[in-house]
Amino acid sequence: MTQPLLSLRGLGIRFGGLVAVDDVDFDLPPSHITCIIGPNGAGKSTLFNLITGIYKPGSGRVLLDGQDITGLPPHQIAAKGVARTFQSSRLFEDLSILDNVMIGMHSRTKTSVLSALLTPRRARRELDACAEEASAILRSLSEELYMRRYEPAGILPQADRRRLEIARALALHPRLILLDEPSSGMDDRDTADLMNDIRRVMRENPGLSFLIIEHDMRLVAELPDDVIVIDYGKKIAQGQFADVRLLPRVQQAYLGQKAVEHA
Amino acid sequence: MDSLLVQHLLNWMVLGSIYTLVAIGFSLLFGLLNVIHFSHGDVSMVAPFVALASLQAFLGLVGSSAPAALLLALAVAILATGLVGIGADRLVIRRFRNSPAMMALVATVALGTAVRELVRAIYPQGSNPKAFPAIVQGNVAGLPAQPVLIIVTSVAVVALMYVLMQRTAIGTRIRAVAEDRDTARLMGIFPERIFAFTFFLASAVGALGALFFASHAGVVRFDFGVQLGLIGFSAAVIGGLGSMNGAILGALAIAGIESIVQANMAEGASYRLVFVFLLVILMLCVRPSGLLGKPVMEKV
Amino acid sequence: MAMTATHTHAPAAFPSALIVIAAEVLGAALLWGLLEANSTPVVLALLGVMGAGFALMQIRPQIEDIIVGAFRAARGVALWVGILIVLTYPILLGANTYAMHLVIVALLYSVLALALNFQLGSANIPNFATGATYGIGAYTSALLAIHFGLSMWATLPAAALVATAFGFLLGIPSMRTRDSYLALVTIAFGIVIHQMLNNLSWTGGPNGLVGIPAPSLFGHSFMQPIQFAGIRLPPQANFYYLALALLGLAILSAKRLHESRIGLAWNAIRADELAARSQGINVAWYKILAFAVDAFLAAFAGTIYAFYVSYISPDNFTFLVSVTIMTMVIVGGMDNTFGVIVGAFLLTLLPEKLRIFSDYRLLFVSVVVILFLILRPKGLFPQRQRHYGAHK
Repeated sequence: MTQPLLSLRGLGIRFGGLVAVDDVDFDLPPSHITCIIGPNGAGKSTLFNLITGIYKPGSGRVLLDGQDITGLPPHQIAAKGVARTFQSSRLFEDLSILDNVMIGMHSRTKTSVLSALLTPRRARRELDACAEEASAILRSLSEELYMRRYEPAGILPQADRRRLEIARALALHPRLILLDEPSSGMDDRDTADLMNDIRRVMRENPGLSFLIIEHDMRLVAELPDDVIVIDYGKKIAQGQFADVRLLPRVQQAYLGQKAVEHA
Repeated sequence: MDSLLVQHLLNWMVLGSIYTLVAIGFSLLFGLLNVIHFSHGDVSMVAPFVALASLQAFLGLVGSSAPAALLLALAVAILATGLVGIGADRLVIRRFRNSPAMMALVATVALGTAVRELVRAIYPQGSNPKAFPAIVQGNVAGLPAQPVLIIVTSVAVVALMYVLMQRTAIGTRIRAVAEDRDTARLMGIFPERIFAFTFFLASAVGALGALFFASHAGVVRFDFGVQLGLIGFSAAVIGGLGSMNGAILGALAIAGIESIVQANMAEGASYRLVFVFLLVILMLCVRPSGLLGKPVMEKV
Repeated sequence: MAMTATHTHAPAAFPSALIVIAAEVLGAALLWGLLEANSTPVVLALLGVMGAGFALMQIRPQIEDIIVGAFRAARGVALWVGILIVLTYPILLGANTYAMHLVIVALLYSVLALALNFQLGSANIPNFATGATYGIGAYTSALLAIHFGLSMWATLPAAALVATAFGFLLGIPSMRTRDSYLALVTIAFGIVIHQMLNNLSWTGGPNGLVGIPAPSLFGHSFMQPIQFAGIRLPPQANFYYLALALLGLAILSAKRLHESRIGLAWNAIRADELAARSQGINVAWYKILAFAVDAFLAAFAGTIYAFYVSYISPDNFTFLVSVTIMTMVIVGGMDNTFGVIVGAFLLTLLPEKLRIFSDYRLLFVSVVVILFLILRPKGLFPQRQRHYGAHK
C-alpha cells in the first residue's frame, strides 16, 4: 500500500472549555479527493487551521508524506506543499489579480534582499517568469480573470474571488490543496466548471490531492473519491457519499435527533 | 526615614492617579471605537489653560481670591475640555471611522499638534510656562493636603466611572455599542450620540488628570500634553487596551517605576523616562496584548 | 491559437516625451518658485496652483492616467531629463544659500521618508522610530569622526551597520506585537534613544556634538566651492550632490525591492497577514527585514546630515521628527516612491516658507495634513499596480 499523503492521528484542540476538534484520525492517499461534510460549527474549518499550522494542535499529530509537521508555523507548512483557500475568501484586495497569484509562488522563488539590490536583472527575470506562469494559471481557470489580471482583486464578485483563491493555491505547486467551501457564492454552472477544473488539475498534476469542505450536495455526490463526516469536532463517518448519507448518525447530525425519530 | 517613605508612596500614588485619569480615556475610546485618540493628551492639557483664564476672569469680576473661585474655574475647565473632546471627534476623528488604523493614528497626531498650537496661539504669551496654583494648602492628618486630595478625588472619580459603566443605562449603551455597533443601532441606540458622550467623558476625566498634573507640578506649558498623553497611552497599552482595570494597573506600574527611579538614582529625574519606556518595551515583549488585554484570536 | 488580440497600439513616443518634459520642467519650476518666493502671497499663490492641479486630477482621473502613461511610455526621456534637471539645479539656485539649504534638508528627509516607506507604505507596519535610527546614524558617525578621526566615507558603512543592528533589535518585538501595540513599542524606543542622547555625557548631553570635520573627496574639501566650466557653486553644492546621490541610492533600492518578491511579500503582509502566512511568507522575518532596511537608509541620511551641519543635538531626532517623516509618507502616497519624495519636499518647505506666520505655521501645517487625510486619503500620488514583462 502506498504511503498516505496526509495523515491525522488523534488530532484535537480545545478553545477554553469547548472541544472544537476531538481525536480525529484520517488518511488521505495521493491523487485522491476527499470531501469533509458536517453541520455548521462542527469544526471543519478548525481542522483546516490545524493542518495548515494556523492553530497549534492541543493533541495528536499531522503527518505529510510520513513527515511530522505538527506545530510548524504556517509558512513552513505552505512551503512543504500544502495550499489552502479560506471560507471567507482572503485575497490581497488592493493588489492586482496577477500579483495575488504570484504571491502564491513565494516559497518557490529565491531572491533575497541582497540579490534584489545587487542583481536586479535576475530578480526581475524571476518575477517576470512568475508573471508568465501566473497568467497561464489564470487563463486555464478563467479567460476573464486573465483579461482583468491588472485590476485590483478587491473588485471581483464572489465566484471570481473563489477562482482566484484557487489560482493562488495552484501557484504554490502544492501536493495537497485544502478548499474551504469553494462553491459558495457560485451558481450551478460555476460549480460545474469548478468540478471540471479540479478534475483537470488532478490529471495534470499526478499525486496531487484535494481535501474539500463543502455544503453543495451535488458536488459532494459527484466529485470526491470519499467523504468524511464531522460533527461536534468528531469524525463520525467515512466512505462513499452514497453509503455515508444513509447512516442514521449522519442523518441525525444533519437533521437533528427529533427529525430522525419522526422519520 | 519613615516620612521619606511616606513621601515616596504619596508621590507614587499621585502620579498613578494622574496617569490613571488620562489612561482611562485612551482605554474607553479604544474599547468603543477601536481608535487611538492620540490627541487625547493635548486635548486634556487644554484644561489648565481654561482654568487659568477663567480664574482670572472670576477674580476680575469678584475681586477676591476665594477658594470657591478656583473650584469654579476647575469645573469650567473640565466642562470646556469635555466639549473640546466632542469637537475633536466631530471635526476630525469621526471622518476616520472606516479608515485604516494608521490613517486615524496620523490624523489624531496632527490634531494634537493643532490643539497644542491653538492653545499657544490663543493664550497670551502662550509659549511661556505658566504658574499653576495648588488646589489646597496645608496638611490633613499629618499629610500634605494637595496629594491627598488628588488621590482621594481620583479614586472617587474612578469608582464613579465603574458605577457609570456597569450600573447605569448609559453605561450599558456604551458597552452595547462597543460590542456591536450595528446591532446596537437595531436596538434603537444612536451610536453617534454614544460616541459624543464618550468623547465628552474621556476628555473631562483627562482634563481632571491634566489639572492635577499642572497643580502638582505648579506649572503648565502648552506642550505638556505630549508627554502626558504618551504616558497615559503607555499605561493603557501595557494594562491592555480597552480594559479599565488594565489602565489603572498600567498607570500604577509606570508611576511606580518613575518613583523608584527618582528615589534611588542620583540622576533619576533625567533618566526616569528611559526607565518608563524601557518598561513599556519589556512589558509588550512579554505580554503583547497587555496585562489584562484579551489576546486577539483572529477568526479564520 | 487564432487571433490573440495584442494591444500593439502603443501611444506615439513623441507626445509622451513632450508630456514628460513639460511635467518635469513644470515641477522643477514650481519648486524653484516656492524656494525663491519671499512674500506670503506668492507662496500661497503657488500652493494654490498645486492645489488646483490636484483638484483637477481628483475630478478628472483621466489626466493622471495620461501623465502616468506618458512616463511609462517615455521612461528613458523621463530619466535623462530628470537627471539633467537635478544636476543643474544648483546653478538655478545660484547664490541663494538658504534655498540650497532647504533643498538639501528636503533631500535627506526624502531618503528618510523612503526608508520608512518600506515599512509603513509597503508592509503597513507602524514605526515611530525613524527619527531615532536617523539619530543613531548621525551620532555614530559624528563620534567616530571626532574621536577617531575617521573620514565621512569610512563612517558611512559603520553608522549603517550600527543602526541596522538597532533596526533588527527594534524589529524583534514586531514578531509578537501588532498595530497600536507595535506603534507604542517604536514610540518607546524612540523616546529611550532620545533621552539617552540627552543625558549621556559621551554624547554631549543636550548640547550635542560640535566640530564634526568637513569631509573631502579626492582632495576636494566640501568647504570649498565647486568650480566647473566657468560656473561657481557655493560650498553647500557639495552636500547637495552628496544628498542627491544618497536619494538616488534610496530610489534605486526602493525600486529594486518593490520589483522583486520581497516587495510583493511586504504588500501581501500589508493586505492580509494571515493569508500571507498561508502563502509561505515568513511574516516575522519580513517585518524585521523592513525595520533593518529602514535603519540602514536612515543611518546614511543621519551621517550626511551630521557632516553637513557639523553640529548635532538630541533635538534633531525627537518623536516629532519621526511623526513628521511618517506624515510625509502618508501625505505623499504610501508605497509610491515619487509621491513620498513630493511629500517630503512639501512638508520640509511648507513650515519654512510659512515662517511669515511664525507662531501659526505648525498650526497651519497640521491643519493641512488633516485636510489631506480627509480629502485625499490615498495621498497625493496613490500607489499603482505593478506591470510585468512587455506590459511594463
